[in-house]
Amino acid sequence: MERTFKVREGQRIEGASFSPTRETIWEFCEASLDYNPLHWDDNYMKSDFGKTNFGGIIMHGMSNFSLISRMMTDWALPLGGIHRRLETRWKSPVKPGDTIVPSGIVKKVKSTEKGNWVVVSVQVKNQQDVVVAEGEATVEFAY
Amino acid sequence: MEYKYDTDFWAGNTARKVWDDIVPGEPRKTIPYTLTKEAIYKLCHATGDMNPLYVDEAYAKTTKWQGIIAPPSIHVLLMFSCTPNDDWMRSPGTINAGQSWSYNIPARPGDVITLHARALDKFIKGDRLFAIHDNVFFNQNNEVICSGRGWTIRPM
Repeated sequence: MERTFKVREGQRIEGASFSPTRETIWEFCEASLDYNPLHWDDNYMKSDFGKTNFGGIIMHGMSNFSLISRMMTDWALPLGGIHRRLETRWKSPVKPGDTIVPSGIVKKVKSTEKGNWVVVSVQVKNQQDVVVAEGEATVEFAY
Repeated sequence: MEYKYDTDFWAGNTARKVWDDIVPGEPRKTIPYTLTKEAIYKLCHATGDMNPLYVDEAYAKTTKWQGIIAPPSIHVLLMFSCTPNDDWMRSPGTINAGQSWSYNIPARPGDVITLHARALDKFIKGDRLFAIHDNVFFNQNNEVICSGRGWTIRPM
């Protein structure tokens, strides 16, 4: 059977935007069980962290991770693909009032013995066009 | 005595390992956890990922998975639900610098999930103290759900 595979290198992927508030960050604390005071304690966040002062509470990095993961599954599942890997690095904190948007670009399509594997370069930007997260995702399209 | 999850991460913080105490290669204590539809729904709602595959049993039954599965990022919850209160990932001020995860099979409601975890490495970069944690989640059939690493900046 001839295999047709329509994903191409250079293809762009867009994800849903997310606008965290104190309430959504607290909801994430309760859903993830991650109650690190970085995410809810204003007094604690007045302190310095080494040379860094965040100037207030910050969103969980893993909330950002979930947003990228959602972009990948929203894209891959309808095409018959399975989200197999995600690697991220946090570049800048996200705070209540920010709006962040994930996106991706297909960097490599690699055919193996059992499928097509798609490597996607991903990033998340805030409303000031600052990259707050970047990384790489992999999706498997089995034959 | 039944284990009770403590949402106050300051409580018992002195019992947790500081960077100096972390031994790369040494297993971390873990706790089996039974995943529920409610826990999956809660995480999906908090992340805005309301794909019916994760939250709608009637729809999920029509898919190749034949029932609700958890989103890949369920390890966000599993990391805390499978570790005890004195685990050093709860130390207030722990900053997540990056993560890398591979997904094998989805977690499902009713799965009894276990974690094999350890510190993999620790190092100093500039003024910061880093630790890398290494984790593998298994279901009750000893199948790998996902595996991953996280880079954290340790509180000082």
